[in-house]
Amino acid sequence: MKLNTNQPSFSSYQRDNHFYDEIFSENNEVKEVYKTLLNLYSEHTVQDFARLNEKAKASFFNQGITFQVYGEHETKEKIFPFDLFPRIIDHKEWSHIERGVLQRSKALNHFLWDIYHDKKILRQGIVPLDLINSSANYLDQMQGLNPPGGIYNHISGTDLIKHSDGKYYVLEDNIRCPSGVSYVICNRTALKRALFGVFNHYQTHTVTDYAENLLEIMESVKPRGVDVPTCVVITPGIYNSAYYEHSYLAKAMGVELVEGRDLFVENDFVYMRTINGAQKVDVIYRRIDDVFMDPLEFRPDSTLGVPGLLAAYKLGNVCLVNAPGTGVADDKAIYTYMPQIIKYYLGEEPILNNVHTYHCNRPDELKYVLENIENLVIKPVDEAGGYGISIGNKLTKEEIEKVKTVIKENPRKYIAQPIMSLSVHATYIEDSQSFEPRHVDLRTFCLLGKDKSFVLKGGLTRVALKKGNLIVNSSQGGGSKDTWVLKK
Amino acid sequence: MALNYVIKYAATNVYENLVGEALWQFLIAPLNSGSQQIISSEFRNSLQIPVEKSINGYGFETFRIHPKKSFTSIDFEAEFHLIKDHINPFEKTNASNLEDEFSQLNSLNFKVEHATFLKSTALTKLPKWHEIDFIYSEEVSIFENMKNLNLWIFDGFSFKTDVTDVDTDLDIILEEKQGVCQDFTHLFCAIARSHNIPARYVSGYLHQGNGYFGDSQMHAWAEVFIPGCGWIGFDPTNNLIAAENHIKVAHGKDYSDCPPIKGIVYTSGTNQTTYSVEVNAQQNAQQ
Amino acid sequence: MLARVANNLFWMGRYIERSEHVARYLNVNYFSSLDAPNELSQSRQFVLRSMLFMASDPVTDPNIQLDEGQVLFDIALNKDKPDSIINYLQYARENANSARDLISTELYESLNKFYHYTLNYPPEKFMKSGLYEFTVHVAESTSILRAKVRGTLLHDDVYSIIMLGINIERATQIIRIINAKYNDANLAGGSYGDQLKNSYEWTTLLKCAESYDMMRRYYKKAPRSLTTLEFLILNPNCPRSIMNSLNQVSKHISDLSHSKNPDKNSAEFLVGKVRAEYEYKSIEEIEEDLQGFIEKILKTLNDIAKKIEIEYFL
Repeated sequence: MKLNTNQPSFSSYQRDNHFYDEIFSENNEVKEVYKTLLNLYSEHTVQDFARLNEKAKASFFNQGITFQVYGEHETKEKIFPFDLFPRIIDHKEWSHIERGVLQRSKALNHFLWDIYHDKKILRQGIVPLDLINSSANYLDQMQGLNPPGGIYNHISGTDLIKHSDGKYYVLEDNIRCPSGVSYVICNRTALKRALFGVFNHYQTHTVTDYAENLLEIMESVKPRGVDVPTCVVITPGIYNSAYYEHSYLAKAMGVELVEGRDLFVENDFVYMRTINGAQKVDVIYRRIDDVFMDPLEFRPDSTLGVPGLLAAYKLGNVCLVNAPGTGVADDKAIYTYMPQIIKYYLGEEPILNNVHTYHCNRPDELKYVLENIENLVIKPVDEAGGYGISIGNKLTKEEIEKVKTVIKENPRKYIAQPIMSLSVHATYIEDSQSFEPRHVDLRTFCLLGKDKSFVLKGGLTRVALKKGNLIVNSSQGGGSKDTWVLKK
Repeated sequence: MALNYVIKYAATNVYENLVGEALWQFLIAPLNSGSQQIISSEFRNSLQIPVEKSINGYGFETFRIHPKKSFTSIDFEAEFHLIKDHINPFEKTNASNLEDEFSQLNSLNFKVEHATFLKSTALTKLPKWHEIDFIYSEEVSIFENMKNLNLWIFDGFSFKTDVTDVDTDLDIILEEKQGVCQDFTHLFCAIARSHNIPARYVSGYLHQGNGYFGDSQMHAWAEVFIPGCGWIGFDPTNNLIAAENHIKVAHGKDYSDCPPIKGIVYTSGTNQTTYSVEVNAQQNAQQ
Repeated sequence: MLARVANNLFWMGRYIERSEHVARYLNVNYFSSLDAPNELSQSRQFVLRSMLFMASDPVTDPNIQLDEGQVLFDIALNKDKPDSIINYLQYARENANSARDLISTELYESLNKFYHYTLNYPPEKFMKSGLYEFTVHVAESTSILRAKVRGTLLHDDVYSIIMLGINIERATQIIRIINAKYNDANLAGGSYGDQLKNSYEWTTLLKCAESYDMMRRYYKKAPRSLTTLEFLILNPNCPRSIMNSLNQVSKHISDLSHSKNPDKNSAEFLVGKVRAEYEYKSIEEIEEDLQGFIEKILKTLNDIAKKIEIEYFL
């Protein structure tokens, strides 16, 4: 079976051998796992897809599964575009990914414990002390504190891509408040509604078990002396771009979704204000950043947090998920030491590849970066959401000079990586009313608890809808795909 | 010879408009460890709100007050009784080998161990452009160097209130050559750290008996870690080595880690805060 | 349930209910005035003033000439007016947003669709030809929302709180409508001998409360002031009456408090007291001083809401 551009829905599919195509091999042969799907899709007309696409969009919009885009003048409510063509990962490929992300997650947890306790890895010079010292996300207040169950990064979101060599590479590990898991579940629901027939031909793992596993993880790290813990999710509020996700998770776990003002601390215990009076809270899944968590300890002007929360946490009366201060380890500069970190704590070889990274704070590497900027991606070490990224081969001469100046002013702030060619995947494009190849990545979700771990069998395949664009973040106009992990 | 101390702390906050909700955290109780032994500690307020004891992010004891009714004015009053042992800082400093001392500072292990008090913070950042003519020498011990630094600040800068506030940068201090104890302590820490000597900001009380600068408010000085000796306090405001007249409350990287009072107050309009500190000492008759 | 969220759900119920009454008031008054039997009732200015009297702030100065398009736009779709239907729906949706984890997906989706319908309704169309379509859509959508509240939520605290909001608001709006139409009837007079008692405005009043058919079925006579007021205030079987709303409030508040002997300062106690009073009240007593009654019942409803707030929402 081959790519058939005579078929209207694939008429504008242009294979580009510079990139790994997830569906078609180099000689345009359809890969094994996609054969059934392509056969089924060939039964649909172009109009069918256009209609299904509109329906799916309306369903997301009506359900209020939206995020806010902050513009200069107004805030807009937008849906996260959903694509009708699922990504399929076979059993073998997935088990490699699953082992790999769990390995990273565990190594990061060891690393966090170490840098907040004995700091062996720093004393031995394996990770440079400077990286920790200069990180704004390292919290001195966390030193010596033993989080319940010994867990820091209960929830990790590791981003993977497939390079032109056909291998998976890790782009980054998000261990502050990784988001996106609600879209994984919504995408599945939407695809089931739109194209239920295709599911009968594949044995796909469910993704709806995420919430129950998250709740179990939270309960496993309950404070000492608590029998049945009261768990809550704390959100910055309805205007936060990830608010839908916060409410989804609270609802799916059957726990309260609180804001800072619903909680208070009395005698170092945390309570929420309910219609029946104060109720003690034991485990908090926090979706607010460290600095906003407790105005007595961090930013004093924060109205999102709870005064006294950190003291309650330090005294072991409440558990915070993820722990404060985890951000130090998802710093892009730490990322580059992941192979060493994995080896150091687990005595294992890394299962997933790291992208080679140049540190601009090292003079020789800085020199290389400045000389080869057009072949590199320049990233600030501490920005989330794809902001501040420059892709060398997309810059004009003036822009290159500008980037060089910015790097030279503050080399510690930047790293550079070779331009990775993200794999492409057939994606429904509204303008051409057909499927075209677009770049994709994959965010995985991994949970760590006391004596328990879980990797969601599926993930968020993010897709850059603009032709040739490599940045897949939703804030930069990306969409997403349902991601199937096959049982066999 | 030990001293018996009675420390009184009083503060009054007055608000133009009714305060709907407020929460204060006080970091004013003397440390109960080392050379200090707390006999009693009391904290009252005019609204009779129960006082909670808690800790700050670095584990130092705090008092918290969280009024549940609205008000326009509140008084706080604390009284601490403690015994302070006589300290002779020179005893500890009979430094051994100078070379050993300095080479320790440069070992990775030492840098990791004391990383918290070696990094510069917003308030202890030395401006690059500013010449600092303090002479640091490896010919003499770290202790001697720190004594010289103490004197360098004491001689070169004048004590003057109301020209700086709690978040004045070092650029301004170095430029104006004046300030108060917080500023001098920040400068001391910054210079010590720039020579790889761990230094921390200490908040506490100074016994005023002998006419030192401190202005009946809470005082600040620095502690530096000298290999082989441990933490030793230097008071650059008075060119003193902290001893039995210095009663420590807490320490941190800089002022922002240990201000005596932090408050979250929901009100409109202006407010006025006044506070005073009184430190009285007696020779301990029993010893 | 969180106190803050309970407060939001209470207000979600209130705003949904409020938008319905305002929409219907616009609809009924506008269209029944077109062929009203007396001149004043037919006058544009008179109807617009009545609308403003009910929906926002009364305009008393007789010299002001109101612009029809502007008045209708202000009450329905003007985002800059805090008491417009579009803003009620925005508040309701915001309140629902903060409780998304507690309410059903179905309820949220209906409210969300309703909000977006209103948001995207072209104002030009509304003022030119859409008044009927728009107001009917609002009324229908609120019925759907109430059905989703009843049919897709567990009948627990969440349900009780929303129903409390709906019923307190309903009683309040019915009283406001009575007040507005009483005011109109006073101004317009009737076409028969005893002017006030037989005013055309009583029919409009019943239609505003969607109770005209029920009332005709119950009394089998043309509405007069006494029967209209009796029906809308005291008849416990009329689903829109004050009495019925108070009964609902009473039921839901006792579901919420779980107490057998409510404290005499509690909202529950006050509701019981008011209910008992109206159970044995005659409409003649009320009619003697209708204005006094209106003010008193509005204050009582306000007191109940305040007590609920203190007991449950803080």
